[in-house]
Amino acid sequence: MKNLGSKLVLIITGIFIFFPLYAATEFSMRNGAEHTHGLTAYRWIFEQSGFFENLAITARITVLAVILNLLIMVPTVTWLHLSGQRYKRLVEILTILPLIIPVVALATGAQLALPSILQNTVYELSFMYVVVAMPYTYRALDIGLSGHPLATLTNAARNLGASWVRVLTNVIVPTIRPSILAALFLMVALSLGEFTLAQLLHWSTFPVWVTNTSQQNIIGATALAVGSLFFAWILLFGFTFFGGKKSNTVQEEA
Amino acid sequence: MANNSLVVAGLTRQFGAVTALDDFNLDVAKGELVALLGPSGCGKTTALRIIAGLEKSNSGQVQLNGKNITNDPAHVRNMGMVFQAYSLFPHLNVTENVAFGLKMRKISKSVREKKINAILELVGLDHHHKRFAHQLSGGQQQRVALARALVIEPEVLLLDEPLSALDAQVRTNLREEIRRLQLELGTTTLFVTHDQEEAMAISDRVGVMNKGKLEQIDTPDTLYNKPATEFVGTFVGTMNHLHTKLSDGKINLFGQSLDAMKSGNESGNVIALIRPEAITVKTDGEANATVVTRSFLGASSRVTCRTLDGTLVEALMTSAATGDLHPGSQVQLQVLSKEVLVANV
Repeated sequence: MKNLGSKLVLIITGIFIFFPLYAATEFSMRNGAEHTHGLTAYRWIFEQSGFFENLAITARITVLAVILNLLIMVPTVTWLHLSGQRYKRLVEILTILPLIIPVVALATGAQLALPSILQNTVYELSFMYVVVAMPYTYRALDIGLSGHPLATLTNAARNLGASWVRVLTNVIVPTIRPSILAALFLMVALSLGEFTLAQLLHWSTFPVWVTNTSQQNIIGATALAVGSLFFAWILLFGFTFFGGKKSNTVQEEA
Repeated sequence: MANNSLVVAGLTRQFGAVTALDDFNLDVAKGELVALLGPSGCGKTTALRIIAGLEKSNSGQVQLNGKNITNDPAHVRNMGMVFQAYSLFPHLNVTENVAFGLKMRKISKSVREKKINAILELVGLDHHHKRFAHQLSGGQQQRVALARALVIEPEVLLLDEPLSALDAQVRTNLREEIRRLQLELGTTTLFVTHDQEEAMAISDRVGVMNKGKLEQIDTPDTLYNKPATEFVGTFVGTMNHLHTKLSDGKINLFGQSLDAMKSGNESGNVIALIRPEAITVKTDGEANATVVTRSFLGASSRVTCRTLDGTLVEALMTSAATGDLHPGSQVQLQVLSKEVLVANV
């Protein structure tokens, strides 16, 4: 009886999740009025001008955002755990701010705060994305670090002859690797899907292009949505696979 | 002293208003195992961490083989340390954990392998090379931590209560093993613990700490038999505290006149400190106490008596000598030692 109940829950949840997906996929593969199925809509996506250009721009913004995010957040959160505990509450509140401050305010305010050399490039978005992603990336890293006796591991590594840089690269980063990958994935997902900031600041990125393009063709728009979703899934599986593998290498002092 | 490996002089450390270490001095000879014993909060771990370079002192000096290393960062001090908390790197297996310090020292792979195999065999873990920390028991994890600290051939081995997270049986085995390894390798070792039995069992000398100060440092025998202060006497082993009067360097206990051993400027009303085994309970003679309980411990028995003035006195005797003692028995107490440590009330 219990078994049947849990199966029922699984089936209903499965339908709830997969039926819309199936429906969207089916719809995106229709060939106009001919009642046949094919990849016409998906071919259409690639034929639209700006697909590769905008994808490339977003990819570059994303890479920069990921690098900035990890460079800023990993040492910061590590420090908060090791010796900055008294600032932890403050930082926690700060990282919540991007959720409270409206994006419009962030767009104009943050842009003014950036050096002018960055204000005129699309890469200003990377900086803002790091801020917008902070509530999520901070927590992903915080949880990862909380799960380990960081102070003891650090002391042990220092004692065994590791400099602070070595402690970070050879002990802390590999120890919290799954959390770093989670933060990285959140950063990528946010960068790939962020529309408002880019639109407000008049930059043409992939999400902006998708919104504009999809207004011309309803089946094409669905194909874009389904395609994006599967792309995100592939990324997620990629990270999981990559993160699941154990790092066997402790780099030697160069 | 030329053969002193580790010299600590005038170390002071304050955390806000709290003085964790107060003018702390210590000399450890090459190859010696010294234990720092004391209640929690007495500053023993702080001392160890300052010696390791993991903590800064407000004043004082740490010298290693005659060289002042007070301001050297932890990673260049070449000291091996085993921590109270499990400290194996979770992303590395046993071999890689032990290899860590060697890699930091740029030791070649072939030499590394040889050293790792030798040390893992020495700590009895030669079949667990590929295991990760979560696949090992607490005792095994501490053995790996010990191997990891020893493989770098440290100038000094620092042990920060490495056994306190383990259960009793493992703890006893591992402490004997630590001593065996330490003697075999001749590593100068400083061992911090709050467990007096642990400290007494394996150390060449034991330093008893209290409130950031080193009260007495001596061999376990001297510490036990001739404690310099009341704190040391009470902290190491069990002591009877008996009120009496001091006059002309003598005290009177159970009708006996005994020589008093002063630790300070005691006079007038004092407390005599006597070990339970220095007291015997006799059924003949004039009774001056009543037996309250007798606990059979095997070879020995603990007899608790109440004197005429109501003070409880504990005696430790061979079980054979306590066979006819029962609660309520009228007995005579006698002090066996000629000299008794006294302290201010």
